[in-house]
Amino acid sequence: MVGLREFVLQSFIVSQRDLKRFFMNIYWLAGQVAMNIADLVIFGLIFRGIVNPVLIPDYIKFITPGILCLSIFISSFTIGREVGVELRREVTHYLVSLPITRGALVAGRILGGVLRGFVYQFGFIILAVLIMGLPTLDKWLLILATSLLLATTMSSISITVSTLTRDFNLQAAIRSLVYFLFFFVSNVFYPEKAIAVRLGPAAPLAYYSPVSMAVNIYRYSFGYIQQVDLLFNLGGLVVWCIFGLLLAYKLYIRNLTR
Amino acid sequence: MRSKAVEIKNFTKKFGGFTAVDNLTLDIYEGEIFGLLGPNGSGKTTTLLTIATVYKPSGGDIYVFGHSVTREDYEVRKLVGIAFQDPKAMWIDKPIDLLKWHARVVGYSGEEAKRVVREVMELLGLWEHRNKQFYQLSGGTRKKVELAKVLIQKPRVAILDEPTAQVDVLSKHALWDVIKKLRDEGTTVILATNDMFEAERVCERIGIIYKGRLRALGTISELKDSIPSGDVIEVQYEASSLPGELLRELEVYGKVKHESNRITIYVEKGEEKVVDIVDLFKKRGVRIKKIMVKEPTLDDVFTYITGAKLRGEE
Repeated sequence: MVGLREFVLQSFIVSQRDLKRFFMNIYWLAGQVAMNIADLVIFGLIFRGIVNPVLIPDYIKFITPGILCLSIFISSFTIGREVGVELRREVTHYLVSLPITRGALVAGRILGGVLRGFVYQFGFIILAVLIMGLPTLDKWLLILATSLLLATTMSSISITVSTLTRDFNLQAAIRSLVYFLFFFVSNVFYPEKAIAVRLGPAAPLAYYSPVSMAVNIYRYSFGYIQQVDLLFNLGGLVVWCIFGLLLAYKLYIRNLTR
Repeated sequence: MRSKAVEIKNFTKKFGGFTAVDNLTLDIYEGEIFGLLGPNGSGKTTTLLTIATVYKPSGGDIYVFGHSVTREDYEVRKLVGIAFQDPKAMWIDKPIDLLKWHARVVGYSGEEAKRVVREVMELLGLWEHRNKQFYQLSGGTRKKVELAKVLIQKPRVAILDEPTAQVDVLSKHALWDVIKKLRDEGTTVILATNDMFEAERVCERIGIIYKGRLRALGTISELKDSIPSGDVIEVQYEASSLPGELLRELEVYGKVKHESNRITIYVEKGEEKVVDIVDLFKKRGVRIKKIMVKEPTLDDVFTYITGAKLRGEE
């Protein structure tokens, strides 16, 4: 049996590798930041004058918490792409041969995704504060908890998706599908009322999406909305997080050891 | 009596319907350099990866210093280090980062890790390549990075899967000395190779594995003695086909192996038989291009035991 201290240390060392790699893909990173800022500026400026102000009074303030959410979702999700490539190139053989427990290896990979999310989101938090104003201390704690839960969920889900199959093309297709489902079928770009009208029977997909839940909490924390169902949104994120963790652990280990 | 470092008991590994290793039983003793010799696809790597807990046995079990790979995999991993046949890294990785991280994983603190990584990289001539990305390294340098991981780890059991493949001749000799030094420092080394010269030069005992089965086991001299006739006569001839009668006549002298325009005959007292054999070729009108009598090599042992050549046969 491995002690908790050893488990945490091993997980942390594994996560350092993933965090360092994140900054080695510097061009991807630059492109991604540019895209997120472009989302904010282009959508914000263009739709500000077009969208019905009764529905969305200020589109920039509406979309800023959404971009904040996307930033952590996108960066945490990158871990899955690397796990997939490692599986294909059998770098995973090396990882599973190391003197660490399987549990610490999975936890480390997930933590790697979480840390990527936090580092990447930091700049967008500053941007959000500049646009939306400074939240109170209790709201900061809420933002922190939301980011942690969302990053863990996304990191776990991306690892799960990347280890579902050894077929790289299929893997890439599933990853893209999951990514775009979370990205577009959520309330990041559109208000829930519009989703209910336009998506019809598919609207619950957006309603129960962890991205939508996180956006709701961010919007509340930055004062865009005055109240939020914390039990549903925060509780929902916890459920997503546990579900993701269990799935990642099961599938990652199953696919790494034959 | 020497204690066992690795005990392989009735180990079988199947991938779907394909049996990669079939009922392998083998002991590897503490402090020896044990060679696993066989052509590509013979089951060497599968066996090594199972010792390193990368694969799980389909049948039987493997014990490393008494710990089962199926039930105590973490304990086993703490004792074993492996240098893979195909270097395991992403193209953007730099050797220095890979090895520093590896050092941290195997238990070195930050400063210790830096020191030991530099020492090992200098020993293997890797220091000048430390900041290159993996795709910029030659095949031989990549193999050295793999070996460096094991040298940093200093495990009780080191698994080296074809560690000198793609390495230039000069570096090969240096790496063999490094492997022997690792053994002298107390590590049991399991070395998989299809290079019989490397096996003769480095290994103390050898297991010959072919098509997933262990075909022979012993020291190099024991294996050479396993060829009952003692000498090998190799004949290269100039003809498009060989008369069947000639082959039958040659079999009187010993076991005959015929491959393209080359015949290998395992005989006793080769020098005495060579004249008769030359006469036989003359009588059948087959011109000899080259003939030689030699002591058996490990390659000959392998050919004698399996009927196949060590290189080039899958």
